[in-house]
Amino acid sequence: MPSFKQARRPLANVSIWGTTYIHKRNPYIVALWSATFPGFGHLLINKYVRGYFLIIWEIFINQSSRLNLAMSYTFTGDIEIAKSVINVNVIYMYIPLYIYSIWDSYRACVELNNLYILSENEPSPVKALIVKPFEINYLDKRSPIIASLWSMSIPSTGQLYLNQFVSAFFTLVVTVVFVYQSHFIEGIHYLLLGDVHHSTAVLDRQWIFYLPSIYFYGIYESYVNAIENNKLFKAEQKMFLKEKFPVKGFKFKGAKVK
Amino acid sequence: MQIFAAFEQSIQLELAITNIQKLGIDNIYTVPLDSGPEDIQLLDTINRSDGLSLSSVGMVLAVFCSVIGAARGFDHQWGPIVWGIIGAIFGLLVGFIGKMVFYKVKMKKIRWVKGKQPDIILIIECADHEGQRVEKMLWEHAAIGVGKAVDA
Repeated sequence: MPSFKQARRPLANVSIWGTTYIHKRNPYIVALWSATFPGFGHLLINKYVRGYFLIIWEIFINQSSRLNLAMSYTFTGDIEIAKSVINVNVIYMYIPLYIYSIWDSYRACVELNNLYILSENEPSPVKALIVKPFEINYLDKRSPIIASLWSMSIPSTGQLYLNQFVSAFFTLVVTVVFVYQSHFIEGIHYLLLGDVHHSTAVLDRQWIFYLPSIYFYGIYESYVNAIENNKLFKAEQKMFLKEKFPVKGFKFKGAKVK
Repeated sequence: MQIFAAFEQSIQLELAITNIQKLGIDNIYTVPLDSGPEDIQLLDTINRSDGLSLSSVGMVLAVFCSVIGAARGFDHQWGPIVWGIIGAIFGLLVGFIGKMVFYKVKMKKIRWVKGKQPDIILIIECADHEGQRVEKMLWEHAAIGVGKAVDA
């Protein structure tokens, strides 16, 4: 067994709940995801509990303030209707936490990038295979294209393909709630039948606006995580090969180049 | 005889090593290859998304444009779903093309990588008569290239 020296700052954890890995990310992209939906930026940098908290909070306050509805009327120019649907009693609570989530994900991303740089070259004692009574997780190479294609079918399947069990479960529950409440599938049904008017009428104007963010986030997250998990797999394998099959003592026996 | 093989890192590589060990060959060496110097980076590949990525900005733009498209779609003939999808595609394309132009203008040293990238050189020392079996095994486990050096 190769004995990896204990790192001061281990960068990765492989468990049956998923593979968590600190790596370099672009803080602006993380902040932008937080702007599309508070919490997504935190999920991208693997701060899941914080991310889920912010997502649930966002859904709660958006529902109680009718923010999506007001936003949608604002975009169509019906400012008076927008003013009338919004719940003044809660809307001001939305703003500080929305901005905080953008700022906090940006800040945390920069800090994690620094920690990554500090311990990039330290050996990380990550396990390549975890077997537990009810689930198995292991490092392997997976295709980012396949991961994002699955996410395109229904958000959560891409994460499941990568063994991100908790991520997949949360995403699936949220997606089902959004799709059901927004009557999105009904809308598509009537659209395919050619009845655009009916299709528009059946959609819920408050719930429908959650869909683009969760859909594209799922595609992006599974794509990026597939790539990063591959890098973790490669780093672990390289460490193992260096330890077990070093090139030390090797003598070339072929003919010399003349 | 010494056999040199270039491999992309995968479970296949470890299977190759294990199967060769099963033949009773123990002189196995590996040389990990580092990816190129810092100024040369690869675009979205199976291995890398840090720094250079064509998809990241496009995805965010897709969300914003899709929301705006769907909202405006409530007042337009094709409805929110069609306009939402149009918005998403528009956002994706703008992000994608924007980044493409950005990379073309800003960074001229990009190495566009196609196909498999070798990560590991595997060296096996064995008797001459075992050479063929080892070579076959290497090819079976997705070696990118195999070379032999006969003892001088």
